[in-house]
Amino acid sequence: MKVTGTEAAARAVERARRDRTGALVFTIGTGCCESTAPFLYEDFWPGPDAEAVGEVGGVAVYAPEYLRALYPGDDGVVIDVIDDVAESMSIETEYGRRFVLRDAAGQPVVGPARQSCEVPEAVSALRSRGPQELPAALRRARMR
Amino acid sequence: MADTKLFINGEWVAAQSGETFATFAPSTGEKIADVAKAGREDAQKAVEAARRAFDDGPWAKMSGKERAERLRKVGELINARSAEIAEIEARDGGGTIKKAMFADVPGAVGTFNTFADLAESSPDEVDRGESPFPPAKSTVRYEPFGVCSGIVPWNFPFLMAGWKIAPAIAAGNTVVLKPASFTSLSAIEMVKAVEEADIPPGVVNLVTGPGGSAGEELAQHPLVDKVAFTGSTEVGRRIMQLASGTVKKVTLELGGKSANIVCDDADLDLAAAGVLWGTFFHNGQVCESGTRALVHRAIYDEFVGLLVERAAKIVIGDNMDMNTDQGPLVAPSQVDTTERYVKLGLDEGAKLLCGGSKPTDLAAGLDPSAYYLPTIFEADNSMKIAQEEIFGPVLCVIPFDSDDEAIKIANDSIYGLGGGVWSKNVERAHTIAASMRTGTVWVNDYHMITPTQPFGGYKQSGIGRELGDYGFNEYRQIKHVWQNTATDRSGYLHFSALSGNI
Repeated sequence: MKVTGTEAAARAVERARRDRTGALVFTIGTGCCESTAPFLYEDFWPGPDAEAVGEVGGVAVYAPEYLRALYPGDDGVVIDVIDDVAESMSIETEYGRRFVLRDAAGQPVVGPARQSCEVPEAVSALRSRGPQELPAALRRARMR
Repeated sequence: MADTKLFINGEWVAAQSGETFATFAPSTGEKIADVAKAGREDAQKAVEAARRAFDDGPWAKMSGKERAERLRKVGELINARSAEIAEIEARDGGGTIKKAMFADVPGAVGTFNTFADLAESSPDEVDRGESPFPPAKSTVRYEPFGVCSGIVPWNFPFLMAGWKIAPAIAAGNTVVLKPASFTSLSAIEMVKAVEEADIPPGVVNLVTGPGGSAGEELAQHPLVDKVAFTGSTEVGRRIMQLASGTVKKVTLELGGKSANIVCDDADLDLAAAGVLWGTFFHNGQVCESGTRALVHRAIYDEFVGLLVERAAKIVIGDNMDMNTDQGPLVAPSQVDTTERYVKLGLDEGAKLLCGGSKPTDLAAGLDPSAYYLPTIFEADNSMKIAQEEIFGPVLCVIPFDSDDEAIKIANDSIYGLGGGVWSKNVERAHTIAASMRTGTVWVNDYHMITPTQPFGGYKQSGIGRELGDYGFNEYRQIKHVWQNTATDRSGYLHFSALSGNI
């Protein structure tokens, strides 16, 4: 895994460096609302299996072993920054910004067009549930 | 909607800086309100107010019955405004109005009622029996921790606010709540109900604002005794480190990549509906979503066909329409994340079975950049899309040949939050469930969480449990009171270990 950063990300790091007195560190982690994302923290211990995988704006980027294994080689993960609300405790959230991961080209990724789905005949024969409408009894339901 | 304020010590106040941030309706991109942007100083004030309310106010000294009456009142007040609150919730977070009306609002009411019951019925003191020598009687007292901070995510903002406020105050603690910045509005409505329910000032405080400043302060402030957080694993680790400075109690409910195991003897019609529900409910923006469907090879082709056929029938559109199954994701940036993973999946050789793009047929006025089609991949468990939590509408289908293999695949994850087993053989289903390293397993069902039963994670999905008596006790300190019952000095012979002369 090899991580680099955009110039905009480096500038955002510079602002954090001016505002904070402690040592800055990037950590890449996963889970829940942020999915896999970079977090910029002050005085943070990245963890026992974390290793440096790059630097952005002079700040080391750490990633845990399982993520390094998922992204072998150096085909490129790029840290960028966007103007957006974020939920993490990453420092840039204070400035209304958010560090994000991009692919090596730094380009927005566009998915393929919707593919037609072929359904086996045996399945077509099974009755599927039509468009759901809530039963009348449920419309006024309240838990407890 | 007018600018919102913070709620500190029973008063609605602007952020000290006077700053606000905008909150938007994800379905249209329309701005809904300007929200007060709390900074570090506001969070400190809220913690100090909560501290005073705990140390000097009446709340911690009230009986469980007195607190229960007020919690039930909060539930009644929310119920009286349920339709209005559901609309605020759906509009701000992008979840469907159906979800808000049938899960978020009644779930929060149920949470207040459940913890009212527990406050009333749980003894504060338990007789733990006698010790023969030295002669003594032991009592365990359950006491509140003090000041609790609660930090909640954007996927279930109203419900999660209830999960943090209700158990904390039921046990006699005071609280500072920080909602997610994407979705601050419904928590404000919950706090209004608290205000009306004769709960003293300072017992519940609300700060809206960024995690990097206000959130950090709530996790590290020396006057906070407990931090409860729902959100990403990486932020959970940050909270543990911040809380370690003054050795706070921490409970965390974090990420997941849960497995839904479909056995060869499952009711396939039901299981297909269950797997789709387990994955695509709220666009997969649910921590315990069953985003890995492990399917027995004997029924694989038929079952996958069912999934694909049914996925195309999920109604995508205006989340305020009761007939919509899937609205926008919380923000365009969440769609960007989903797109990135779809590309990673294709790059790694996963087979795209359906979806894989934004919808092209949305009604006019809806923001297409916030929507994504239900997407199903045939994948290998070692792929990024099967290991990392995407938090978008992406399902990985993975075949297996034996129950042992299914269990091995299910457990091959850093997470352990939810999971499902689909089989007509209940004994078989329970055997599989017992081997899954995860906090909740649903048998022939998914996503059902009730306020009376524990919820939480194994491994990197969290620490501690929420809900029910297990969740209640996460907000209660345990004090052992030892009373020596000797009638003469011979019952104090252990004193001689120090000196025979004292």
